[in-house]
Amino acid sequence: MFKNEEMEINLGPQHPSTHGVLRVKLRLDGETITHCKPVIGYLHRGVEKICENQTFFQGQVWTDRMDYCSAVANNLGWAEANEKLFGITVPRRAQYIRTLLNEFNRLASHLIWLATHALDIGAMTVFLYAFREREDILDMNEAFCGSRLTTTAFRIGGLREDLPPGFEKMARKFLAKFPTCLEEYENLLSENRIWKKRTVGVAMLSAEDAIALGVTGPVLRAAGVPYDIRKAFPYAAYAEMDFEVPTQTAADTYARYLVRMAEMRQSARIIQQCLDGMPEGPVMAKIPKILKPEVNEVYHATEAPKGEIGYYLVGEKGSTNPYRFHVRAPGFINLQSLPKMAEGGLIADIVAAIGTLDIVLGEIDR
Amino acid sequence: MNKFLRTLIPFDIAKGMAITGKHFCKVFFTANRRKVPFHIVSEYPEVVAKVQPRYRGRLTLLKDEQGEIKCVCCLACEKICPTQVITIEKGKKEGRKMPYPVRYDFEMERCIFCEFCVESCGFDSIILNHQFELATYNREDFSLGMEGLSQNMFEPSPVGKFSVADD
Repeated sequence: MFKNEEMEINLGPQHPSTHGVLRVKLRLDGETITHCKPVIGYLHRGVEKICENQTFFQGQVWTDRMDYCSAVANNLGWAEANEKLFGITVPRRAQYIRTLLNEFNRLASHLIWLATHALDIGAMTVFLYAFREREDILDMNEAFCGSRLTTTAFRIGGLREDLPPGFEKMARKFLAKFPTCLEEYENLLSENRIWKKRTVGVAMLSAEDAIALGVTGPVLRAAGVPYDIRKAFPYAAYAEMDFEVPTQTAADTYARYLVRMAEMRQSARIIQQCLDGMPEGPVMAKIPKILKPEVNEVYHATEAPKGEIGYYLVGEKGSTNPYRFHVRAPGFINLQSLPKMAEGGLIADIVAAIGTLDIVLGEIDR
Repeated sequence: MNKFLRTLIPFDIAKGMAITGKHFCKVFFTANRRKVPFHIVSEYPEVVAKVQPRYRGRLTLLKDEQGEIKCVCCLACEKICPTQVITIEKGKKEGRKMPYPVRYDFEMERCIFCEFCVESCGFDSIILNHQFELATYNREDFSLGMEGLSQNMFEPSPVGKFSVADD
């Protein structure tokens, strides 16, 4: 009478909780997922190939458009990889401003993660409150570089302009109110029984699996591995900053939530230190107008809000374009842990698993 | 026992509701009152959105005191543009030593507003202005030029005129 067979369904690509155009092929036994396969490529633009046909200067605009929620962090990686390739030393003030903006961007990215992740799971109020704070950060982006999302904030060798007048006031005002806002989110979520039922013990990923799959960022730290490139291989002005790398050992969705909330507090701490210890001086190093590299290759990794973003650049003699350009996108590599998290769980929990990875499809498909 | 009580009485939900209620009351009792700092939503088409001084809007050619276009056709902006939206045709004009652009075409539909052109310009002859209502009804309206085209680069975008309801 009842046929006992597995059912195949597609989650996405047009599904609001896949955060873009991600398609997940699922095979279900009742409500249990037995097989899960993410299908990507719907947003492929060929960023790496396009950048190979453009000069080193022009390539930066494409890094904005990979992970559009954390454009500043992508810009920083691109600028620093190029500086490594050409052997440019960036002035200290520029380093501080870069660190400052990068941390603001981490806050913005984590806020958008909190907002959408909570919305996916069913807590809509947090969405509105988190976007309220993100708005202030985007306003600061606009004040600094003229654009809110696709910032193109840095230049190879430093910054285009110094901080605008009034920026420090804006930043301090934001910092003064941000801890109360964080408490507000935590009061709404941390103890909430519905939130806990949906997250505790859901989408487990052990430290061994996470390391084997190359997962980085808060997902790895929630499994108890204190690996943060800001501490392990300091770049920009992080060597001079005093901050902690928050970790949890539970390795579930709730632990990742706690790690990200703690990270936001640390980011606010770094911003405070940047503002207090901002050195004076120029913001741009002296660089030639046309950048021509020697034959050389560099790989430079930075800690983007989602994990390790690495830029691999190969220079060609006499050419103004990179010979080869490759991005190690954190979202792309974190996404391969989705089958590990989802298989064996319920179908309702795959939404939590996708949300907790904090993926942006612009970066995964590139 | 304590845990049982906590399960029975939803303190956690009440905590969340208190926050939502606080914000609701804040907004409810100050509604329609102007200059309340925590009203973060503005009624956009009626209230004009403020932009920061460095905002990157539409490309504009600048004129000097005589009303002439400052551009001298050095083609720096054309070369640096990551999406190749600028096309300049060099020409001459009587009574001017420097070259004068016969055509300065700007295809806004592909422009990504990165401000590299302004940065590369050594003569300060272009800026990105503060216009952001750039949508139009026709595709041709995105092709901007000095003159003669359907849209002139010196005029504001047509949408600014349409976005506010006439009534």
